Amino acid sequence: MVQTEVIAQLQTIFDSVFLDPVVLTPAISAKDVPEWDSLTHISLMVAVEKAFGVRFRVGEVENTKNVGEFADLIIKRKQQL
Amino acid sequence: MDIAALKTLLLNGSPDFWPQLTALTRRAGDFEELFQLSTWRKKALARKLCPPARPAPPLRLAILGGYSLYPLHELLEHLCAIQGTPAELWLGDYDNYVAEIMADDSELYAFAPQVVLLLPAENRCKYSGHLTDLRSAQQAEATHTAEAVLDLARQVNARTGAEIILTNFMLPARHDLGAYRSRTLGSDWAFRQWVNLELGLNAPACMRICDVAFLASRIGGLKAADARGWYETKQPGSPALLFEIAREAANLIASLKRAPKKVLVLDLDNTLWGGVVADDGLEGIELGDTSPRGEAFKAFQKYIASLKQRGVLLAVCSKNDLARAMEPFEKHPEMVLRLPDIVSFKANWEPKSENIRRMAPELNLGLDSFVFVDDNPAEIDIVRQFVPEVTTILLGPDPAEYVAQLQDCRLFEPDNITAEDGERTSHYRAEAGRKALEATVTDMDSYLESLEMEGTLSEFTGVDAPRLSQLINKSNQFNLTTRRRSEAEVLAVMNDPNFIGFSARLKDRFGDHGLISIVIGEKKGDTLKIDTWLMSCRVLKRQVEEIMLNELVRLAKLRGCQRLEGVYLPTSKNEMVRDFYVRMGFVVTAELENGREFELPLATIQPVQTKIKITRQAYGPN
Repeated sequence: MVQTEVIAQLQTIFDSVFLDPVVLTPAISAKDVPEWDSLTHISLMVAVEKAFGVRFRVGEVENTKNVGEFADLIIKRKQQL
Repeated sequence: MDIAALKTLLLNGSPDFWPQLTALTRRAGDFEELFQLSTWRKKALARKLCPPARPAPPLRLAILGGYSLYPLHELLEHLCAIQGTPAELWLGDYDNYVAEIMADDSELYAFAPQVVLLLPAENRCKYSGHLTDLRSAQQAEATHTAEAVLDLARQVNARTGAEIILTNFMLPARHDLGAYRSRTLGSDWAFRQWVNLELGLNAPACMRICDVAFLASRIGGLKAADARGWYETKQPGSPALLFEIAREAANLIASLKRAPKKVLVLDLDNTLWGGVVADDGLEGIELGDTSPRGEAFKAFQKYIASLKQRGVLLAVCSKNDLARAMEPFEKHPEMVLRLPDIVSFKANWEPKSENIRRMAPELNLGLDSFVFVDDNPAEIDIVRQFVPEVTTILLGPDPAEYVAQLQDCRLFEPDNITAEDGERTSHYRAEAGRKALEATVTDMDSYLESLEMEGTLSEFTGVDAPRLSQLINKSNQFNLTTRRRSEAEVLAVMNDPNFIGFSARLKDRFGDHGLISIVIGEKKGDTLKIDTWLMSCRVLKRQVEEIMLNELVRLAKLRGCQRLEGVYLPTSKNEMVRDFYVRMGFVVTAELENGREFELPLATIQPVQTKIKITRQAYGPN
């Protein structure tokens, strides 16, 4: 899986969780999206772990700076299942 | 309708959003769904998509504990709003609950909560010594740990009068210590179990235990724990556990002012036994320990008998010939339930909805206190359609699961089992004896005389509080104001010198009716305002009304009052007391939009003579 594929799949998850449409790019992050608050963040993480079949390790989601890095983390976790 | 379709309703600002949100919330099966629904609800409110007006003022709910209470509070707030007990929340800071409870100037007390959900920290529920210490030392520390938690909860209750919902401690699900874990109280496994038992057994009536240990074991200990959630955001457990805790806490909040169901109406064929008695005959039905299916049906009857023991009334409603339907109850050796266990037996060919409708006045109970159980979806459907007040349970295809279905239905859960619950069936049966006597004596006076009634009047007491609250919360028909009160609120009335609160017990030669009438009055200057006046309908026309008035007048005069003031607040169920105050000699003073006010000047009032011998008065030296 490459970053663009992961972001495409993330897009469908974001579409179901966010009310206002967000177009994902590697550079976008929570501070760019008003609706991306701590509440939506919880929904996103639960949905992402389920959809990709991964479990993030303690503290590592917090360390990703944008959607690109987050997608890379998903790829890394999928490879190391 | 699914969550995606609900989002479309929200985006379109459709008023259908709210009923669909309610329906989906009731069905929500996991954290993800419930949390998403709670988010949509918040967003709908932010977009000014207004919910249908709710008459209930929000309940002031404080949540505090040794965890981050976010997002647990989101789930709980959502469930409360959906179930019709909307809550205004105050959240404690992470692990600041001891200070929040101890400090006089705490924001908690400024908030004046009515319900407090307290989640004490699990990491402090741990034996401090060594695994091999003396058992007595370990036990003493466990008892002390539980006492410390209960003390905090008691303090909150004493300062606010709030009901307390207290969570207990999840048990560890790891193999740590191996088989040794259950051989010392020093292990977390054993220590927390001991503490949990102490909490449950010693918590006073104003507290409910939110049994997290039970909830976690129900979903599985490994699924309930979440180390990452603790390190990252101080969660009490996994999202799956948060979902369970929120649902349980919401259920406990709803149950503070909701009476459990009172009557279980049972189908017969393929419900209480396998097969059809009219076709298969007494010998042909499956019941008893000779076959696995027969054993399952017998176990179901045993469970139903245990519900009767807890105070649930049993009734039968069957499409059958009456004599054939009764035969197993009379003659089958494996039947657990017998005719005396059944307060109303309807076996005929009329629709079940009609039969159940007829039971309500016979038993003097509202239809909303009935639960109907049947294995036939068509019968369930008829009852749902024509008597929607009745709650229905459609039994699944396998009789092995019948017991579990009833055990999980959550309709017959007592807050506290009072001794009177177990005697209820005999009350209703003794009533049949009284009705027979009533037919043999010529006039009402000699009938009442022949009953040899004895009345005991008592001010509110702590011992009576569970029964007082139970009666206050379930009396609908003979109830002038239908004001509900939890046990904590009953105790608050008891401790407030401006309030008079007393109850009556009634005995006669057929049996003991127990505590059956309650009056609460509030002294305002030289007037005693009657806040609550209610009575159990099983003692209608026994002059209990009169002894309550006599007592009220006596107590009001003792406190220097010049008049009684009463109000009738109509509901769909209390039509029978519309003219009660007028019958008791009060005069109407005002017509309100939602009721009527009455007054009784006390100067010239004399006690009414009754056939009830008063053996004790309230607030007296006695």
